[in-house]
Amino acid sequence: MLQILFDALSLGSLYALGALGIALIFGVMRLVNFAHGDVIAFSVFALLWPSTDALAIVFAGQLPWYLLIPFVLIVGALLSVLCEIVVYRRFRHASPATMMIASFALGFVIRYFLLMLFTSRPKSISLLPALGQPVEIFGARLPLLQLITIVATICILLALTLFLRRTRFGLEMRAAAENFSMARMLGVRANNVIMGAFAISGALAGAIALIFGSQTGTLDIQMGASVMLMAFIATVIGGLGSLPGAVLAGFLLGAASVVMQVFLPIDARPFRDAFVYGAVILVLLFSPQGLISARGTKERV
Amino acid sequence: MSYKVRLLATALASVGMALPALADDETITVGFATAQSGAMQAYDKPADEAAMIRIEEINAAGGLLGKQIQVVTADTKSDRAEGAKAGLSVLDQGADLVIVSCDYDFGAPAALAAQDAGIVSFFSCAESVKAGIQGVGPLSFSGSVLAPVQGAAMAEWAFKEKDAKTFYKLLDTWTVYNKGICDGFDWMMPKLEEQGAKLVGEDTFKNEDASIAAQITRIKALPEEPDAIMLCTMMPGGVSAVKQLRAAGINSMILNGSGMDGSYWLSAVPDLSNFYIPVQASIYGDDPNPDVKKFNEAYKAKTGADPSSQYVYPGYVAVDVWSKAVERAGTTEAEAVVAELEKMKDEPTLFGPRTFTSELHHQANARYLVVNVDKGKPGVVGEWTLSEPVPMEAILK
Repeated sequence: MLQILFDALSLGSLYALGALGIALIFGVMRLVNFAHGDVIAFSVFALLWPSTDALAIVFAGQLPWYLLIPFVLIVGALLSVLCEIVVYRRFRHASPATMMIASFALGFVIRYFLLMLFTSRPKSISLLPALGQPVEIFGARLPLLQLITIVATICILLALTLFLRRTRFGLEMRAAAENFSMARMLGVRANNVIMGAFAISGALAGAIALIFGSQTGTLDIQMGASVMLMAFIATVIGGLGSLPGAVLAGFLLGAASVVMQVFLPIDARPFRDAFVYGAVILVLLFSPQGLISARGTKERV
Repeated sequence: MSYKVRLLATALASVGMALPALADDETITVGFATAQSGAMQAYDKPADEAAMIRIEEINAAGGLLGKQIQVVTADTKSDRAEGAKAGLSVLDQGADLVIVSCDYDFGAPAALAAQDAGIVSFFSCAESVKAGIQGVGPLSFSGSVLAPVQGAAMAEWAFKEKDAKTFYKLLDTWTVYNKGICDGFDWMMPKLEEQGAKLVGEDTFKNEDASIAAQITRIKALPEEPDAIMLCTMMPGGVSAVKQLRAAGINSMILNGSGMDGSYWLSAVPDLSNFYIPVQASIYGDDPNPDVKKFNEAYKAKTGADPSSQYVYPGYVAVDVWSKAVERAGTTEAEAVVAELEKMKDEPTLFGPRTFTSELHHQANARYLVVNVDKGKPGVVGEWTLSEPVPMEAILK
């Protein structure tokens, strides 16, 4: 039972971090950033030297962990900010649909850039191998990585909450999320806030890349896609733009996925995701605004 | 000139133009309608190179039916619509044999184009039964071995040679290839159960799953760790599954399909042991057949790198068996060549015997080498041929 709880929490953490990265950007500029998944892939591919050989040439991946972790986070953040400066800034006044299409296109550009450098063959890398050992906790035997994932996610969430509640920049960001034009009129510098949101979102993508990479040992140019899809669904059921909602829904999705895998009969298990998405539809039927709807997105009468 | 004669003359002229292949009697043409770019390129190119090595060998030995083989290519760009165009393109250039993409889904459009034109096609390394009569037509073949043979061979080998008694089945539902491995395992398992083996559980996962923790928890809930886990999966999710199984402290022997061959991914699971893969020949320099080593050297000389997995070899086999059939038929004409191919029974090739019948243009049995990964080092530890071929019911399941 405890084992199932840990399984659910660790998978949920991954989805929650992804959902947070998407919700942050949606909050400040109403953009559903579909390139987020490809930022995840890029930030971990940055550890390899570009080569089309089957064998991965590990480059920055050889750094000790206290340099490697910041390296990946910074790559994610930089790429994300670069996307903002080069692409999204030009779409600031475009409709959300246009921005969404732009984000799809940008995602393709990043993915095909990786394809060009590394080919479509998945690359293998031993990332943070020390985390591969099993540990015993309250009678449940689980990989150390699972534990670290859960702890790290909780720390990231706490830090982000403090940042948003206690700092001036966080206040500006929350104000911008609530009512962007009003915030600008009151002296919030839009570019800074948006770039900040992109940087945090990119760093979150880097964190997912690290967890994903050390869990699977495999880097694939499409690796971000499945997490991105789940994370996007989480932001929707959490209430678009609502940060606590996104996190909560991320954990719920992870839990639903694990619970279905455990309790569905063997013949139904291949269709697990169909059941998960069915549950998502049910949630949206009963609560179309999401679990915790953001104040800024509510229709005002 | 009367109208009728003029019409006849025009018709004759257009027939002459439509058959450029007949115009050139000095050479035989092999067309490659495979991916030279995009997602499939990494899988098609190695098999293409191996096929090229066989073509060069034949040309160096005086050619086929006394004619040199010339090669024409067209890029499928890893796209199915482009695949059909690439097939037509090499046919227009006069191909007598069309080599198509390694995967059934990507290779089928070009193979269908060849089928329509009455030309023989070979999938360079597809392992689905559809890559042949069942999915394309009577002129289509595959150079590789069916996926069910891999699952069945590994189960029988583990039971007979490694004394494995309890088995667990873990299926990745992503591709038909994965299901094929487990279909073969499912066919073999009742036979082994009569002799004292036991299937203690089964589960499924998806290749893209971020975590298979729930599946692992189910294995750990068993009263005893199973002797062997049949893992029906492929890259990239397969590596992830293996890594998570070992990280959770499950040390059962892991049985795989050939899709897990290759040492390039082993860095992801340091010190992996007790991990078994069926291969048509060894890329690790320890193949019992010295000619395989020679081939590996030739491949390295040509491409600058060792073969990355056993999927290099079927490309060589495809050209090899086709050229033998052409030699015996005395022509490249499709019907005669197919008839000769279908006469092949345990035809020796560099990578094991091959059999084709009028029902199956694929291998329902094969000699496999078993590679074990021991402390991160892969090497051949045995050889296995199924006690009987996998029957059509199990293949078509």
